[in-house]
Amino acid sequence: MIGFRTGRSPLHAAHPYTPLAIATALLCLVFAAQTPAAIGIFVLAGIVLAIAGSSLGYVAKPALMLAIPTLVLLFILHGLLGPEPRHALGPLHVSDSGLTEAIVLGGRITAILFAFLTVLATVSPDRLVEAMTERRVSFGATYLLVSTLTLVPRMRRRAAQILEAQQCRGLRLGGSPLARIMALGPLVLPLVLGALAEVDEQVLALDTRGVTSGRVRTAMDPPPDSAAQWAIRWICVCLVVGAWAERVRPLLMLIHPHLYVACR
Amino acid sequence: MYLGLVSLRDLVLVRLGVAINLVLGQVVAALLLPVYLDSLGTILVAALVGPRAAIAAGLTSQVLAAVLSGNFSWLPFGIVQVVIAVYAAGAARVGVFKRLRTALPAGLLLGLLAGGTAAPIAYFMFGGATAGGVTAVTTALRAIGTPLPVAVAIASMGTDLLDKTIAFGLVCLILRNVPSHLAARFPVLAR
Repeated sequence: MIGFRTGRSPLHAAHPYTPLAIATALLCLVFAAQTPAAIGIFVLAGIVLAIAGSSLGYVAKPALMLAIPTLVLLFILHGLLGPEPRHALGPLHVSDSGLTEAIVLGGRITAILFAFLTVLATVSPDRLVEAMTERRVSFGATYLLVSTLTLVPRMRRRAAQILEAQQCRGLRLGGSPLARIMALGPLVLPLVLGALAEVDEQVLALDTRGVTSGRVRTAMDPPPDSAAQWAIRWICVCLVVGAWAERVRPLLMLIHPHLYVACR
Repeated sequence: MYLGLVSLRDLVLVRLGVAINLVLGQVVAALLLPVYLDSLGTILVAALVGPRAAIAAGLTSQVLAAVLSGNFSWLPFGIVQVVIAVYAAGAARVGVFKRLRTALPAGLLLGLLAGGTAAPIAYFMFGGATAGGVTAVTTALRAIGTPLPVAVAIASMGTDLLDKTIAFGLVCLILRNVPSHLAARFPVLAR
């Protein structure tokens, strides 16, 4: 839906872990926030992040395309079908608490979308792999995340070919639900069995590239990092810990009142 | 060791499982079926390799599905993939996938478990508004007066019952149709 776009913004130049840390922190913070005002601040933070990555125009459309249907559903589920008391909003009677709930939930999703779509738009996959290799992230993790993305389009093409081939042989895609379920076999089996047959070939290819040697791989062009970025990432961690400590503090009252007093 | 998996073959199988999870939606869409089959790869890896590899496949699928669709708010549903991986590995261990008549009821039970795991996430984190089809059912149930938590649970389980039953049935068929020269390479199938 959205991919990396070259640019000269601070986020493009940053170490790949920095935008990722900011977006992940935002994800954790929005779930700790409970009021529409706090959620509004985080939505704003997501938009500011997109502006910092010079990607607001690129990110806003997919973010809103994903967020608006959810916001509408939340408005129906909580605002229109929510509990009493209600107030008139034009021709509609909207639940007070339900509307607040819908704003909080919808705001969370919107903030997450802006933050992570900005990461997708500004973090180059190649630089991320280099950063992961430099930080000695296991080959397995890097391989799974990056290599699978190259396999998916290939398998999609194969699925489309199988679909056409089976239709040529007389497979009907319509009909009753049971007939459609029965049609899954001729479509899924060739796709999966064909892919299973290639496993040995791929194992051999990886083995030839020396990934079983157990040696540490060298990053050819590791992205530069700085003390300031290191500090930003740790500030993100502290913010998340602080926000969640504040969120769970009332729960301590239920577990142990003395513990709650000690925390205060 | 790669991600705690025992061999390079396991790693390649995990990658294949992830790709299957991500691609099958296209096939399902062509048949206009109200299912996702986004955990078939996880179940297959659980049956062929074991729970650790299946958990890796499930969690990676969830992350990559978010990357490909842009909808990162679905990441918390990764917990459901862990439940599916552990259950499917246990089911494979007791030989559920040998016959369709055992695979289908086991899939139905997984549907209950997966739906039961997804419903609290959908309710508490997203207020019941998740995937379009499921939310449409939730809204319809809510409109006829069903309490929201119950509506979310019914909608989640309804979709998952059919989805996981079909997925278990398909994995059973796949395992029974693996050519003998390939089956010999998987200890589970060679048994």
